Amino acid sequence: MKLLEYEAKQLFAKEGIRVPKGILAGKHEEILLHMDEITGNVVVKAQVDVGGRGKAGGILMADRDTVIETARQLFSTTIKGVPVQRVLIEERLDIQHEYYVSITIDRAKKQPVILFAEAGGMDIEETAQKKEDAIRSINFSPLLPDVPGFLLRELCGNAPAEIQKTVNQLYHVFCKKDALLAEINPLVTTPDGVYAADAKLIIDDNSLVRQGIAVNRDLTEREREAEKFGFSFVQLDGTIGVIGNGAGLTMATLDLIEYYGGKAADFLDVGGGADSERVMHAVHLVAGVPSVKVIVVNLLGGITRCDEVARGIIAAGVSVPVIVRIAGTNAEEGRRLLSEKGYEMLDTMDHVVRKAVEVTG
Amino acid sequence: MIYGDRKTGIIVTGATGRQGEYHIGLMNEYARQVGGRGVVAGVTPKKGGQTIHGVSVYNTVKEALAEQDAAAAVVFVPGGAAADSIMEAADAGLELVVAITEHVPVHDTMKAIAYAEMQGCAVIGPNCPGFLSPGAVKMGIMPAGLFSQGHVGVISRSGTLTYEVVDELTRAGIGQSTVVGIGGDPVIGQTFADVLEQFAEDPETKAVVLIGEVGGNLEAEGAKSTDVPLVAYIAGVSAPPDKRMGHAGAIVEGGESDARSKIAKLKKMDIPVAARPSEIPDLIRDLFRCHC
Repeated sequence: MKLLEYEAKQLFAKEGIRVPKGILAGKHEEILLHMDEITGNVVVKAQVDVGGRGKAGGILMADRDTVIETARQLFSTTIKGVPVQRVLIEERLDIQHEYYVSITIDRAKKQPVILFAEAGGMDIEETAQKKEDAIRSINFSPLLPDVPGFLLRELCGNAPAEIQKTVNQLYHVFCKKDALLAEINPLVTTPDGVYAADAKLIIDDNSLVRQGIAVNRDLTEREREAEKFGFSFVQLDGTIGVIGNGAGLTMATLDLIEYYGGKAADFLDVGGGADSERVMHAVHLVAGVPSVKVIVVNLLGGITRCDEVARGIIAAGVSVPVIVRIAGTNAEEGRRLLSEKGYEMLDTMDHVVRKAVEVTG
Repeated sequence: MIYGDRKTGIIVTGATGRQGEYHIGLMNEYARQVGGRGVVAGVTPKKGGQTIHGVSVYNTVKEALAEQDAAAAVVFVPGGAAADSIMEAADAGLELVVAITEHVPVHDTMKAIAYAEMQGCAVIGPNCPGFLSPGAVKMGIMPAGLFSQGHVGVISRSGTLTYEVVDELTRAGIGQSTVVGIGGDPVIGQTFADVLEQFAEDPETKAVVLIGEVGGNLEAEGAKSTDVPLVAYIAGVSAPPDKRMGHAGAIVEGGESDARSKIAKLKKMDIPVAARPSEIPDLIRDLFRCHC
């Protein structure tokens, strides 16, 4: 789950990373309460989860006289379609130099990887493509509690020593917060020292519970509802409802629908080991998607038992036609149960999908 | 046949949970059919002394190894504690850990795999269905009824999609040597390249099917690393472009990790790529024809 800038900055500050003094406001009137804290020039930053926020008009310059009007302006607009619910008003820093630092996971090496650029700020991705040596990277054993000093020196080159310290503090945030990404762009030097001018933090969805995060904000309400039952669910705009087990097989079912010229209405992976009740909820959820004309159930039992799947489909008893393909663990029993109730069953994935495409024309 | 044979004794951790118990039963049913040793011990902290399907349960892997001869562990321990169980098995001296558990925090996975590798222990998974060598050994949750014995290896990031492909192969009369589900998480132990290295040494395996998905870049890395004849299928052509993890993800992975880009990369290496799972058997036949 992505955190907003102000949330990430609070966590960075706890690890000792210096962040600009800031005021968070949900309405422009709230700023009035803090006017004595605003002395010089400020930056007003929309707290929205949007890439390229600055270029899209989400970051505005202001001073004591114009700050309220500037905030009002941000609250009344959307940034790339996202309404602004909060703004962060920060003291404007006297920036001497901008760096880029980012920590993520290198899948191939199975280790943390830290990227660093002498020239940070906007357009870092462009810089990376144009000048391959503009970004340096290091990776090291995930069993180490700190970034080794020799690697920090290699990474940061001629940057001031305080930058190295900040990179190590950012690594502590990355580990403690179960982050998939911890980024500061730009990381700036000022006459008063080093500051994180921006902050990005993405928390591993598998760690939300132990991080004390109850609600995954990245999901829509329907997706959250689906998650309660252990489903991954994405609503699409076609006519063929899809229920599969396992992301790979469900994805392959959607690919096959496209191959045969149909359009899928959703992606629903019931997950491993679904019992009849979960399958019933899945059928109800997909039948509730307004564009659905037919539902394809494509399940291969491993950890999931096909007799449970069959009981779930029967218990759901929806009026939309359901075409079933089940194979694997307890498939015979599942097929027997479904055929007793007159469900249409086909024995391969190609056949069920072709049939569904025919039915929907 | 790779990663184990009929003689490999297996320890199941998380043995007294619903999934652990159920799959001890199925693994041992398979072992009886093929004359293998199967699961010789279960482990669940504080539940030592019980038996499950006739298998003794111990409190720790070390206690289990004091009484039973085993070389591998299959982990069913739930998310937050799975990494600990992987490290325990590696620390006790087992050569192989197959981690079935889903939803393992990725930081835990990174640490557990690094620790296990230091102990000389290979990890398959997490979030994987394990592996099955028809007629010899099953470690994990694959539905044995779909498999048939033969000379084609399968490596897959998916669980159920693997069964789909195995089903297609078996129906087409093409048997399998070993089928390995390596797991779909961002960080996994054995990668395509690692499993291909094993297959290259395996006299039973004449060709390998790679089953990939969107995300990461490990399919092409694996394909580049081997001389074994390959056929591939990549799921996710119709998937909407993946939300990228900031700029760093794109920079680290060095290019696109969507299905179409992956397919293009594999085709550039002259690897036949199936548009549908049901095309895989024909591509395998073509492969054998030109290698005859």
